[in-house]
Amino acid sequence: MSSSPPQGTFRPALRPGHRYDASAARRPILVFEGVYKSYRADQPVLRGLELTIERGEFVFITGPSGSGKSTLLRLVHRTEQVDEGRILFLGRDIARLSVPSVPALRRNIGFVFQDFKLVPSWTVFDNVAIALEVLGLPSRVVRTRVGESLERVGLAGRGGDRARVLSGGEQQRVAIARAIVGDPALILADEPTGNLDPQLAIDLLGLFEDIHEMGTTVLFATHDRTLLDVRARRVVVLDDGKATDVPQGLGALQELFEGESGGEGADVQGEGADEYVADSGVRGPAARQVVG
Amino acid sequence: MRLRTWRAGRSDWRVQALSIFSLSVAFVCLASALLVVTNLAAVRDRWSRAGRATVYLRDSASETEVADLQRALEATPGVTRARHVSAAEARREVVSEGADSMLAALPPNAFPASIEVSFENDLSDDDLASMAVKLRVLPAVESVETYARWTERLSALLGGGVTASTCLALIVLCAVVSVIGSTMRLLLHRRKIEVEVLKLVGATDGFVRRPFVLEGATQGAAGAGGALLVLGVLFLMVRGRFDQELVSLLGVAPSFLPVPVALGMVALGGALGAITALLTLRRMAAV
Repeated sequence: MSSSPPQGTFRPALRPGHRYDASAARRPILVFEGVYKSYRADQPVLRGLELTIERGEFVFITGPSGSGKSTLLRLVHRTEQVDEGRILFLGRDIARLSVPSVPALRRNIGFVFQDFKLVPSWTVFDNVAIALEVLGLPSRVVRTRVGESLERVGLAGRGGDRARVLSGGEQQRVAIARAIVGDPALILADEPTGNLDPQLAIDLLGLFEDIHEMGTTVLFATHDRTLLDVRARRVVVLDDGKATDVPQGLGALQELFEGESGGEGADVQGEGADEYVADSGVRGPAARQVVG
Repeated sequence: MRLRTWRAGRSDWRVQALSIFSLSVAFVCLASALLVVTNLAAVRDRWSRAGRATVYLRDSASETEVADLQRALEATPGVTRARHVSAAEARREVVSEGADSMLAALPPNAFPASIEVSFENDLSDDDLASMAVKLRVLPAVESVETYARWTERLSALLGGGVTASTCLALIVLCAVVSVIGSTMRLLLHRRKIEVEVLKLVGATDGFVRRPFVLEGATQGAAGAGGALLVLGVLFLMVRGRFDQELVSLLGVAPSFLPVPVALGMVALGGALGAITALLTLRRMAAV
């Protein structure tokens, strides 16, 4: 974690009849306890995953294709169900939520996808406003908050445009605006820069960092090493169904290995750093540098 | 929700229009049957309350017998008037009214003399039937026509019409369910992304379903309304041409469906549409 987590004023949107538990604010926002998930019995994606995400953290989830990055995020969003283990979101076990409680969970989580998941025929405003309409907020409040969100992502005044006429970068900004408009406790970003050019990807990462600065916890799944090197942040490398936590980022890890080997970076590759970097499937200049 | 429904419906207006047209065709059949039944019922009611009978006299009946019979009838409770119509007068009335050369060529004895009896409106069918039985046994009386047979025939016809309408209603019900069900499946397919997005941002199943249900109800109601509109225009065109003929033939002017029936049909369309949409969406695993 690179910066101290700001204390937000987030109160989870609850189902009617459920009381707000103030003690939840002191708990880690996400805890994975022995999480197993497999789509085929002989090929588990996650094998006893143990991970804790504190409130206000910005965490990169990385790893090769098929390592379970998207699965991990989808489990948190309850788009997938765990086979075994527990995922605690603000102290509540997501896996044990009843089906009617799932929408309430999702209202507290913003999700940004690689393919944007916008309705092309809707306007930018409608695409963002839907996240507030499901909360049943008055239209006046919806207008105000959508306007603020669009301004935050740099799309002020574009509310009337159809989503289909926007560029990829703009569409992803709309998706981000939709994710943050409900002021969620947690934002999950699943390869949000996968369809964008490198410069745009870095710009968009900056946007996520701005959102994080406002106190929102961000889980950012990517296999683009360039993004991991932009700033030293906590990285969780998923590989072979397990998570390897790198609190100071891959860059620090690389320096550590280089330091231990007396600056002979080429000798370290096969023994240590590559377990985290090269074999993790992350792409980019730094990964290439370590691998040689 | 109305805004969401409008937003979604606007983009699929062609599908909606096609669905409403198909539903209108189905509802026109039902509305036509109801229109026929309504008018048949009116004719039956008119003739069941005809309030008159014709006592046909034998050719051999003397003037004294006829006069006595007329006086006796006029003195009978429930009878308002008894008018003697001679054979010549009967011929004159028929020939002048019909203006048919074949009728005019008939011999004078083809038109029997009669006594036209008018009754009070509250005279029951049983009283009229017993009076007819008593009259038939009189020596001067050939036969008595109370027009009950016409009412019975109309009632039988009406019963057939009601049965046909019920069958049509069932067919229409199946058509509405089929059309709206197919439309909903199509709309759901077209709005797959929309539904997915809604679920991702935390919409409940009810929230996702509501616009579809409202659209189904609107389609059903609009289909029924469109059918009534088309039928109403056709009815006005036909009535303008045949109104007088029908009045002189049946004694009643043709009328359009009563407002409660028309409103009921629109409500039926709306309810069927909503229920079908709901059931279709429930069966779809995605929602």
